[in-house]
Amino acid sequence: MATASATSVFPLRKGATAAWRHIDLALLASAVAIAGLGVLMVFSATESKLREQGLDPHMYLKRQSVWVLLGLAVMAVAVTVDYRVLRDIAPMLFIGAFFLLVLVLSPLGSSTRGAQAWFQFGSFQLEPSEWAKLALIACVAAYCSTHRGDLDGRRLATVLGLAGAPMALIYLQPDLGTDLVFAAILIGVLVVAGARPRHIAALCLIAIVGMVAVVQLGVLKQYQVDRLTAFANPTNDPQHSAYNLAQAKAAIGSGGLFGKGLFKGTQTNLSFVPEQQTDFIFTVVGEELGFVGAFTLLALFAVVVWRTWRTATLARDLFGTLLCVGILAMFVFQIFENVGMTMGIMPITGIPLPFMSYGGSSTVANFAAIGLVLNVHMRRFA
Amino acid sequence: MPLESPRLRLGIVAIVVVSLFAALLARLWYLQVLAAPQYRTQANVNRVRTIYTEAPRGRILDRQGRVLVDNRVSDAVVVSREELGSRRAEVVPRLAEVLKMQASDVQKRLDDKRYSPFKPIPVATDVPKETIIYLREHQSDYPGVGGVQLTERYYPYGSLGAHLLGWVGEINGGELATFKKKGYKEGDSIGKSGIEKVYEDDLRGKPQIERLEVDSKGRVLGSLGTTPAVQGHDVQLTLDLDVQKLAEDSLQQGLAAARGSYDKQQAKHFIAPAGSVVVQDPRDGSILALASNPTYDPSVFVNGIKPELFAQLNDPASGYPLNDRAIQGQYAPGSTFKLITSLAALGHGMIDTKYTVDDGGKIKIGNRIFKNAGGEANGRVNITRALTVSSDVFFYTLGNQFWLQRSQFGDAMQDEARQLGMGKKTGIALPFEAAGRIPDPDTRKKLHDQNPKAFPNGQWFAGDNVNLAIGQGEMVVTPLQLVNAYATFANGGTVWVPRVGAAVQDQVGTKLRDIPPQAVRKLVLPPEVRDPIMQGLQGVATDPRGTAVGAFAGFPFQTFPIAGKTGTAQAGNKQDTSLFVAFGPTTDPQYTVGVVMEEAGFGASAAAPVARRILESLAGKPTHPVNYAGGGPD
Repeated sequence: MATASATSVFPLRKGATAAWRHIDLALLASAVAIAGLGVLMVFSATESKLREQGLDPHMYLKRQSVWVLLGLAVMAVAVTVDYRVLRDIAPMLFIGAFFLLVLVLSPLGSSTRGAQAWFQFGSFQLEPSEWAKLALIACVAAYCSTHRGDLDGRRLATVLGLAGAPMALIYLQPDLGTDLVFAAILIGVLVVAGARPRHIAALCLIAIVGMVAVVQLGVLKQYQVDRLTAFANPTNDPQHSAYNLAQAKAAIGSGGLFGKGLFKGTQTNLSFVPEQQTDFIFTVVGEELGFVGAFTLLALFAVVVWRTWRTATLARDLFGTLLCVGILAMFVFQIFENVGMTMGIMPITGIPLPFMSYGGSSTVANFAAIGLVLNVHMRRFA
Repeated sequence: MPLESPRLRLGIVAIVVVSLFAALLARLWYLQVLAAPQYRTQANVNRVRTIYTEAPRGRILDRQGRVLVDNRVSDAVVVSREELGSRRAEVVPRLAEVLKMQASDVQKRLDDKRYSPFKPIPVATDVPKETIIYLREHQSDYPGVGGVQLTERYYPYGSLGAHLLGWVGEINGGELATFKKKGYKEGDSIGKSGIEKVYEDDLRGKPQIERLEVDSKGRVLGSLGTTPAVQGHDVQLTLDLDVQKLAEDSLQQGLAAARGSYDKQQAKHFIAPAGSVVVQDPRDGSILALASNPTYDPSVFVNGIKPELFAQLNDPASGYPLNDRAIQGQYAPGSTFKLITSLAALGHGMIDTKYTVDDGGKIKIGNRIFKNAGGEANGRVNITRALTVSSDVFFYTLGNQFWLQRSQFGDAMQDEARQLGMGKKTGIALPFEAAGRIPDPDTRKKLHDQNPKAFPNGQWFAGDNVNLAIGQGEMVVTPLQLVNAYATFANGGTVWVPRVGAAVQDQVGTKLRDIPPQAVRKLVLPPEVRDPIMQGLQGVATDPRGTAVGAFAGFPFQTFPIAGKTGTAQAGNKQDTSLFVAFGPTTDPQYTVGVVMEEAGFGASAAAPVARRILESLAGKPTHPVNYAGGGPD
């Protein structure tokens, strides 16, 4: 490879400094651009509601800005330490995340909208499941890379057992959406790590059967079933589940080609779309910035995904590749599920749109993930 | 590359990712470009609420411009459900107490689905001013409760002309389906009967339309503009308030008098449950009065009639007061039909004034003996005399002659009745008019052939013609048809559509539209036909042997000569229907008056005194209370 010969120009002892020269600016820039747009959209979605409640209209703007800055700081840390250290400490991270997931179910955790998923620190919230995603990626990548692409049935079962424990805890919160992200990560990493095709097929089948069973057997609460099935049956019950969807589609559709203009969305300003600054943030982009704005956002996401995929192909070891693949699977699934749900082609689940949705834990965790990809990218020769 | 190669597997991942992004883009293109107009509309519908507030209806005036149906402003207490919110359970009982209502009734009003959630709901009308002031002073205890002034229908003369004027009620499902194109909304008022129904389009105004911007919780953020209401147009009638009142009072007195009299035939007092009066101007068909008894108070329909009251109005025991018997009641005309028989006989040249019959009190036709109603013998009579004394034998003979000479004259009596507008709706601008019925041999045969079970008798006999000649048998007319026929005779042959609406005008009295008189046809009434009949009808009230001479004793014939005819119709097992029709002054007829009273006895006894009181007043004389008159059958 052309780049490989270029590295030999630099002496090995200068490795640390040399690594910074290989930072992936395109990935960094697009992630920061999306986060910037996210801050603006969160502001637009919340400004009129806060004003109406007599609160500081800049409250969410300020908080989300803080999260982005904090995220950038965490990202810087994630880039600095060689990602291979992560392989060694992955079991400890995983155990730590598992411990927090247990703790959040205890009276120490807080619940919002029926899910016990948070630790409340004053006015700030910590959502351990966001961090558990990264811990899972690191742990599964580490395990699979030590067995170098040879995943027989026994090892596969080990991976599944490993992932199953935190998924069960998250299911108890209950947070079905995050479990689905876990499943996506697992399948992504296993595919690339070399699981047997028939195992993958069986896994997908189990996932589908499991989903159907969960919906059919009444394991879920009715509102969860309603939300999941609303996209397939949008005229049913317009005031509740399907209402969210109908209003989301009306917001995006009414934006048209060029949008209604920043801060000018009627669906947005008059609070027709519920949970708009979090799960339905894409509707603000669609309504106010139109097809042009929404396309641009998806293009930026595509750049992030492409650079992550590229880093996976360039990584110097299988751990780096699998780390990137896990992160890629996490982003792609969240983007597709979240944007798809606002447009009515995916079921409604509470999954945030990376870098866009309001929320500290997810924003910081996503930047940490970008940090890891940058880390793998710039240490691809060292 | 082997399958185990991470590169190949990363390629698979890339394909999946590209497909997913392509799917998102395709959907985005559909939503924001292809389907954008539809979603734009939906977003607008979302944020804009249109509130319709009905405009006050136009008024209904009599021919002199006196207001018969008006609007008035009522102090009402309204409740905004939105502002009341969660305090409803606590506020409603307290409010009910202040309004002296049942809490459940207040709840019922608040749950009324007819009202827009953005519109305060009236829970009580005609609330004393002090109560509204009290509620205002204690506003914090009564969130969302306010006082407004509502416009509602008001009837300055109570039940006067109730049937003709009609009532207004809430639009029902069927009407809504029919009139949706005209902009009616659920909960709107609509004319349900009478003038209110027929002139609905004129009386109904244009509603106030307010466009409000609302947020997702339905909170009103501001107004996007208001189109003010336009009050409906006034409708002026041909009706004369004084004549209507005169007709209603006279009818009421006549029915009371009949109830106080003894029916020798059935050995009990007359029931006299109902009756009607029509007063028409024969010169152009204008209706001056249209009275029906029993009657009702239209104000019970304002703001929605109570169900128990509506049930009572439709209970047979109340005598169906909502029915307008002047246009819906169908009665055998009895001897009043002799006008038609006479016109047919003279008009076809079957007889002339020289033709006489020796009335011995009875006559044998075929195998049957037909008697005069009272069995008395009138001697030798020609047509004029026969009308005056109401000789049944004379008209039996004519009926028989028509049958014998059917090949020459056809069904002349039936044809004459049809020419005069019987057997068919007159076309008066009032709803639910009945058509009456004219029996004839062909119709009877047709009915029998179609359904032999229901109509076992398919044959027409001489006896049927004999009965028809004196207005008995299957022949039925509405009081309005009867009066309209006499009006045609009075005016020299013009059949008018009875006219009740005169003009439509706006609120300041500018005429927008005339409702002109409308002639159906003109009949030829040469003097050799008209004069002998006129003379006979005049004798009814003036000749010593005239059937109504008792009822008209002391009537000012010199200044106001009249012509008329009594009728006493059998109605199955019921007591006789009493009829009287008259017009005057005969020199230049201006009024035709018809009175029909159910189960009230002889026409001369019950109906004629009622007509007399009306005619006397129209002649400019002081009126006297109606008494049951002496007199016999006709």
